[in-house]
Amino acid sequence: MRSIAKVFGRSPFVPLQMHMEKVAECVKQIPDVVAAYRREESETVEALRKKISRLEHEADALKHDIRNSLPRGLFLPVERVSLLQILSLQDSIANRAENIGVLLTMKQARSFPGFDDRFDDFLGKTIETFELARSVIDQLDELLETGFGGLEAETVKELTDMVAYKEHEVDVIQGVLLRELLAHEDEVSYGDFFLWTRILRQVSSIADRSERLAIAVRMTLETS
Amino acid sequence: MMESQFHIIITLAVIFGFYMAWGIGANDVANAMGTSVGSGALTLRRAVILAAILEFSGAFLVGSHVSETVRQGIVDPLIFTGDGMSFMLGMLAALLAAGVWLQWASWKGWPVSTTHSIVGAIVGFGVAYGGLSAIHWDKLGTIVASWVISPLLSGTISYFIFRFILRFVFYRERPLQSAKRLAPYLVFFVFSVLTLALVFKGLKNLNLDLGTPAAFAVASGVGLVASLVAVWIVSRMPEQERDRRPGGNQAITNPATVQALEKAVKHLEKVQSTAPEHMQSKISDALDNVKRLRFESQKSYEFHTNTAEYKSVEKLFVYLQILSASMVAFAHGANDVANAIGPMSAIISVAVAGGESIAAKTPVPLWVLALGGLGIAIGLATWGWRVIETVGRNITQLTPTRGFSAEIGAATTIVLASKLGLPISTTHTLVGAVLGVGLARGISAVNLITVRDVVVSWVVTIPAGASLAIIFFYGLKLVMW
Repeated sequence: MRSIAKVFGRSPFVPLQMHMEKVAECVKQIPDVVAAYRREESETVEALRKKISRLEHEADALKHDIRNSLPRGLFLPVERVSLLQILSLQDSIANRAENIGVLLTMKQARSFPGFDDRFDDFLGKTIETFELARSVIDQLDELLETGFGGLEAETVKELTDMVAYKEHEVDVIQGVLLRELLAHEDEVSYGDFFLWTRILRQVSSIADRSERLAIAVRMTLETS
Repeated sequence: MMESQFHIIITLAVIFGFYMAWGIGANDVANAMGTSVGSGALTLRRAVILAAILEFSGAFLVGSHVSETVRQGIVDPLIFTGDGMSFMLGMLAALLAAGVWLQWASWKGWPVSTTHSIVGAIVGFGVAYGGLSAIHWDKLGTIVASWVISPLLSGTISYFIFRFILRFVFYRERPLQSAKRLAPYLVFFVFSVLTLALVFKGLKNLNLDLGTPAAFAVASGVGLVASLVAVWIVSRMPEQERDRRPGGNQAITNPATVQALEKAVKHLEKVQSTAPEHMQSKISDALDNVKRLRFESQKSYEFHTNTAEYKSVEKLFVYLQILSASMVAFAHGANDVANAIGPMSAIISVAVAGGESIAAKTPVPLWVLALGGLGIAIGLATWGWRVIETVGRNITQLTPTRGFSAEIGAATTIVLASKLGLPISTTHTLVGAVLGVGLARGISAVNLITVRDVVVSWVVTIPAGASLAIIFFYGLKLVMW
């Protein structure tokens, strides 16, 4: 008799945004941990690494919760698959942040003149890319309100284009950084070289995942 | 047969019928009003008062049409000729069976409908008394088909109404303005349909029967007046809220501007890398300036979401949803009161006629309709408000635009069914309507398991109601004979 209330399932969108908040907290730690690394404060680096790992773990718990609360009988305005894809992309960004933290605790690698500035630019652009992707996830409220179409869909399309452009910029800087690293190959120890390339790959991967995230949301839009 | 026996039977009929009406008011009204309370369109207090008035008027003004079907459509009254006692006891048993089954199902949390229970119960005692041939199977088939069709129809209507709102409000550049322009038309539609339902045949109860052309004329007249009032109300509403953002930050950047600035930065960087030495400092100044502009525009761009505007659209729809919820309450009263008073008035008419003959067509007495309406209102006041509160709290996902779409779909279907004399389930119709809005991508999570529950309840309720009615029928016979 009162079944009308039973028609409404638990919405996964708010938890999805909460998950993204946690991921953002992880990403926000990266500049701090890099700064501490440069100051050669290994204890601070270790503390920040632990903090990122803890945040990542919290995000994981949220992720499992969301996955478990998506029964097949739930009809969503978005394909279940897209939703799970968005979730796993968000999750992978948190993992990258954790990886960067871990890599920075491995060894105090030496850098060379000009490298740090360019690296900051690289990291800054990556975080901008991520923030743009996050603003796409923030738009989910509006998208829900407008049935995934209209002006709101246009906004998300624009944002996705911006994310794609930023990601491209990150790629370009990564290339430059790699070239510089190779140009200094005689001054850089094998271990340092290895570590830097690993770090570069993890950072640029955040930008890459952010782009895919924005595209995944874009795929859910009404095409009219 | 003795006079006193009739008195007992009439008293029991009134008690059972009133109990059924009470149950409808206590449980089912929540479906009509819970959505409005959930979306914040109405406070609980106002919802209860509004529902009580509309349920009563629906029951009283339009109610009898379905009653006739429940009373005479399913079981052939001719088989009881000369044995009015069995007929009365059977109807009593049916009321009791439906009541008990509903109580049990509610306790178990099954989405069982009052309508289906009473239909099942009447079938049960009909079979028990006169065998399988006593049932108008074709009529029963129509009724059962209407149970399947009604959620489909309400879902379809709601789907299209919500798509319509998306297209003409949310997809527009200025949603609030579009909503304001659309509102009077929607008001016209709601009032016309409601008036049509009322006037077409409903007012027969008050001996105010109008012909079809007159009914349409009156309906569109009422709709026109209402929409003029709507125009007036809408014109008094505040303009776009986003123009009044604190801090005077009106410069909300166009996405195209943000992109163009992006490109400008890119080009300036290219200039910087190729320009001769003496230009370098000026170019890097320009680059810094443009970069700052880009950053600021991005900021305001991110900050600018249409949230405020969508919120004011929902605020506007709050009024429309009150209308649509009222329409559901009215239609609900009209359709569901029959479940309680149909069997009750049947018993009373036989008892009054001396218990011997079963009149094929006797009008439902007005005081019986009033009693049914009153029962619903009392059920609402004593218990229903609590259910409305609970339901309302659980369905906050149903914003006014969604609620409006669902309720219009449901109410239109129910009104139509009442006209055709089909006793459909209001709850299932509303479930169908909500699913329709969900399919139009209006609701963030719809539980499709309820569909299975609804189908199961179709299959289970008739046999269950029927079996209980048979048991009670023989029980009552033992006691009363």
